[in-house]
Amino acid sequence: MRKRIYYWTDSKHINKPVISDTILNTGVKINILKAKVEPQEAFLILELFGSKETIEKALNYLSKFGEVEEISKVIKRDLEKCVHCGCCITQCPINAIYMDEDYSVIFKEEECVGCKNCVKACPFKAIEIIE
Amino acid sequence: MKTIKEINEKIKKGEAVVVTAEEMIKIVEEEGVKKAADYVDVVTTGTFGAMCSSGVFINFGHSDPPIKMLKIYLNNVEAYGGLAAVDAYIGAAQPNEDPDIDIDYGGAHVIEDLVRGKEVELYAEGYTTDCYPRKDVNVKITLDDVNQAIMVNPRNCYQTYPAATNSRDEKIYTYMGILLPEYNNVHYSGAGQLNPLQNDYNPETKSFNTIGIGTKIFLGGGIGYIIGEGTQHNPPFGTLMVKGDLKQMDARFIRAATMPRYGSTLYIGLGIPIPILNEKIAERCAIKDEDIEVPIYDYGTPRRDKPLIAKTNYKVLRSGKITLNVNIDGKDVEKTVKTGSVSSYKMAREVAETLKQWILDGKFLLTERVGKLGRAENKPMKSPITLVKDILSKPPITAPSNITIMEAAKILIKHNINHLPIVDEFGKLIGIITSWDIAKALAQNKKTIEEIMTRNVITAHEDEPADHVARKMSKYNISGIPVVDDYKRVVGVVTSEDISRLFGGKK
Repeated sequence: MRKRIYYWTDSKHINKPVISDTILNTGVKINILKAKVEPQEAFLILELFGSKETIEKALNYLSKFGEVEEISKVIKRDLEKCVHCGCCITQCPINAIYMDEDYSVIFKEEECVGCKNCVKACPFKAIEIIE
Repeated sequence: MKTIKEINEKIKKGEAVVVTAEEMIKIVEEEGVKKAADYVDVVTTGTFGAMCSSGVFINFGHSDPPIKMLKIYLNNVEAYGGLAAVDAYIGAAQPNEDPDIDIDYGGAHVIEDLVRGKEVELYAEGYTTDCYPRKDVNVKITLDDVNQAIMVNPRNCYQTYPAATNSRDEKIYTYMGILLPEYNNVHYSGAGQLNPLQNDYNPETKSFNTIGIGTKIFLGGGIGYIIGEGTQHNPPFGTLMVKGDLKQMDARFIRAATMPRYGSTLYIGLGIPIPILNEKIAERCAIKDEDIEVPIYDYGTPRRDKPLIAKTNYKVLRSGKITLNVNIDGKDVEKTVKTGSVSSYKMAREVAETLKQWILDGKFLLTERVGKLGRAENKPMKSPITLVKDILSKPPITAPSNITIMEAAKILIKHNINHLPIVDEFGKLIGIITSWDIAKALAQNKKTIEEIMTRNVITAHEDEPADHVARKMSKYNISGIPVVDDYKRVVGVVTSEDISRLFGGKK
């Protein structure tokens, strides 16, 4: 399975290789989608891959060094503003946006990695990435 | 054979057969043209896309004491005031006066806010006269407060619009949306088989069967009229000039937008009913997306005449992907890329459906045109052009990478230049050294050209317009650009001095 999380590392653990340790100790696979490391705090968006058990172990391990919050939804679209033009479709690097048979623009929200390309491309400012 | 009068009688009695252009395709396919022409009375069409060439004439009514308004701003967006005292024209593409807001809230946004019934701030200045003693006025207004708000759009409803792709190695921001590097997407616009002009077109005569001056239409959710052919009208790339009453319009069909790093624009829903008077008209109303040819141009070439990359049709474009044969870095490659629409087919359908319902309800009767659309004309401007090769200082001063830094410094001094392109044995560009790099080498005790040269060099081509090179230099904050030929061989350097000389008048 796959799980996406926000992760804030505590300042006292900022110099530790927390992510590598998590991988080595639990066998989980981690894809870092975003990382912002500052002297006081580090903020990351992580994608974890593995069995349910492995992911649970990884989450427990990560919690020792910081705060974990599961991402339920990354992308948010205001359907009042969206006219289903399609300016965003080709901007999505992981093909999570497409036009269906009814010519509605569809977002596969669960696949979004939060890159914001679609947000920047939307002429109607109808898309938001929740951070 | 039917007449518009007969069709209107049927509409009034609630007996008219009205279908959308999409539905007509199926009817003609299943029942044949003859039968379709017999029993279908009206085909409704629709389009919904970015129409920059749109705007609204507003008459604000007179203030007391009265003012002759000259400089006029609505929510800080300038409206043209070179008209009578309290008349103005607000154009959709006008940016905000505040540079921080700029294209994020422009004329189109003012128009949408007015339609939504929102308050808009009017600020106007004028010069005083005996009959207009007032100097300025600042007041909040709504659409209800103004006398007239008449939408008059010089160019709407493109019959077909060429699709766009990008050959450059960087993203570009255009009125066709964001185009990815190396042909990595194709953007298109247009309602294709639902487009009003497309469904009424006679390709043999290059004219329109029923649409003309005076035709009553659906415009922005209200009733509008065709005034005549639009600007740049040139079938099969026909356009329309239309008018409508903003006070009747619905914000669902009048939507302000901002094309990223390009400008503000207005998305408009426009629909036209086509009376099925004969078989010929019926046949054309069955036109399909696959029958409509769409050229794809390279918007990466910042010139008026853009290279044609391929010809396709709306069916392929709407499928979500397309295969192109393109040349990347001198190699011919076949590339399958994603397609994206800039206009909304879903909303175009809604326009055609709404218009159909209006006619079925007896609320909308058809009109007879009072004249045909005027002549086609779309020729280029006779503007002078300066190309890079026109301003190039020749011959190029270049050097190989195995010289010493001292030697490089001497070359710069001897030729009184600041930029030294570094080339390989074939004269091909591999890097560039500037006087700044030499200073840096001294300060950091670097010994070789290889250590200090910039390898990722921004280059220009000798056939590029000088304007484009000036934009590049400003964008990347550089003072000199090596000019290369098709084989990446250096043929010269354009410097900021060359560019300023262009504007300074000393040619």
